[in-house]
Amino acid sequence: MFFHIVLERNMQLHPRHFGRNLRDNIVAKLMKDVEGTCSGRHGFVVAITGIENIGKGLIRDGTGFVSFPVKYQCVVFRPFKGEILEAVVTMVNKMGFFAEAGPVQIFVSNHLIPDDMEFQSGDMPNYTTSDGSVKIQKDSEVRLKIIGTRVDATEIFCIGTIKDDFLGVINDPAAA
Amino acid sequence: MEKGATLKSKGKEDSFKGKDDSSMKSKYGRKVHINFEGSLEPKTLSSPKHVGKDGTPFPKGYSSKGGKGDKIANGGKTPAKEPQPLELNIELELPENVKCMSMMDCEAASILQGIQDQMVTLSKDPELKLPVPFDKGLQYAKRGVHYTNPQSVRKVLETLTKHGVSNSELCEIANVGPESVDEVFSLVPSLKAKRSKLSEPLKGVLSELAKLKESASLASQLEEKVNMGENQHKEENSHEDSFVW
Repeated sequence: MFFHIVLERNMQLHPRHFGRNLRDNIVAKLMKDVEGTCSGRHGFVVAITGIENIGKGLIRDGTGFVSFPVKYQCVVFRPFKGEILEAVVTMVNKMGFFAEAGPVQIFVSNHLIPDDMEFQSGDMPNYTTSDGSVKIQKDSEVRLKIIGTRVDATEIFCIGTIKDDFLGVINDPAAA
Repeated sequence: MEKGATLKSKGKEDSFKGKDDSSMKSKYGRKVHINFEGSLEPKTLSSPKHVGKDGTPFPKGYSSKGGKGDKIANGGKTPAKEPQPLELNIELELPENVKCMSMMDCEAASILQGIQDQMVTLSKDPELKLPVPFDKGLQYAKRGVHYTNPQSVRKVLETLTKHGVSNSELCEIANVGPESVDEVFSLVPSLKAKRSKLSEPLKGVLSELAKLKESASLASQLEEKVNMGENQHKEENSHEDSFVW
């Protein structure tokens, strides 16, 4: 889910950036440093939408760098356990399938795929019901529920399930 | 020798006790390890090989066993303890002391789209690029959008707040775009507690949302047909939404 959130960060700036463009330089550096990063607490920082305030700079002993406390508003994307997401399937194999919802990767194990869906190998591997009415393959859109998350420095991985009411394929590229 | 023997048996006992208290085990493990390194290694008799086998991999084996034991314990516990489905508790999980506000996908889409448009016009500087997560986020937000006018959706959903539905739950409903009341309760289990109170107002809200959805899909069809300029199109969308209202 997307959030609007106010975060704080200390920006260290080299004295060569000082002058009348100081503020712009701080903001540019902030965008470069922060946008696209990800943390377990806040999720992906998708975009900075505004600067609340830039505090007084503090000279770092010995280096001449100055650190400015910056408060900024940003849009973050963070998946939660129990959240329902609509994701696009990116890869299917006999272990399950991978899907993507925005910047987040989700793996759905074959234990969490309804029992009546069987894995079919081939050049377009897929999970299909016995009557063939429902098919999950690459580029299918599925509605899934997040049941676990793991975060590392640049990515968030989730485990999802489609073994519940009102979950599963939303639209099938093959049928369209 | 005697020492080695007792240690060995201890180690064995431990490795068998898979579900033992972990603190106790780590104590044992450490003891065994230290003793082994301190007093047993120099005494290279006939047993060291044996003790070495039992002793050195012991902490490792023990830890993996402990893990398994934990898993088993968990596996046994969770279904018994909470048979109800996983609840979404965004309010609890959010970091405190930070101003934070959940948004609907359609709101995010309009904000992100605004930023992207701005970037296109503002910067010809190739260095200032929007990161990959931005594009993916925007793509995701746009794809999942069922409605064109976030304000009107918000207005409809906000009628639910007086029934104790939280902001994040509202957003969840908007993002999922459910068609029936049952679907809502199934997908957002945290609402189930208020089911009796919520069913009626929810029905009304869903039918309002369905109208908004219809107008949105109508608008997109129109867009395909007429393929008008974007600004005109945006105006039209807001028109249609306000018309429903």
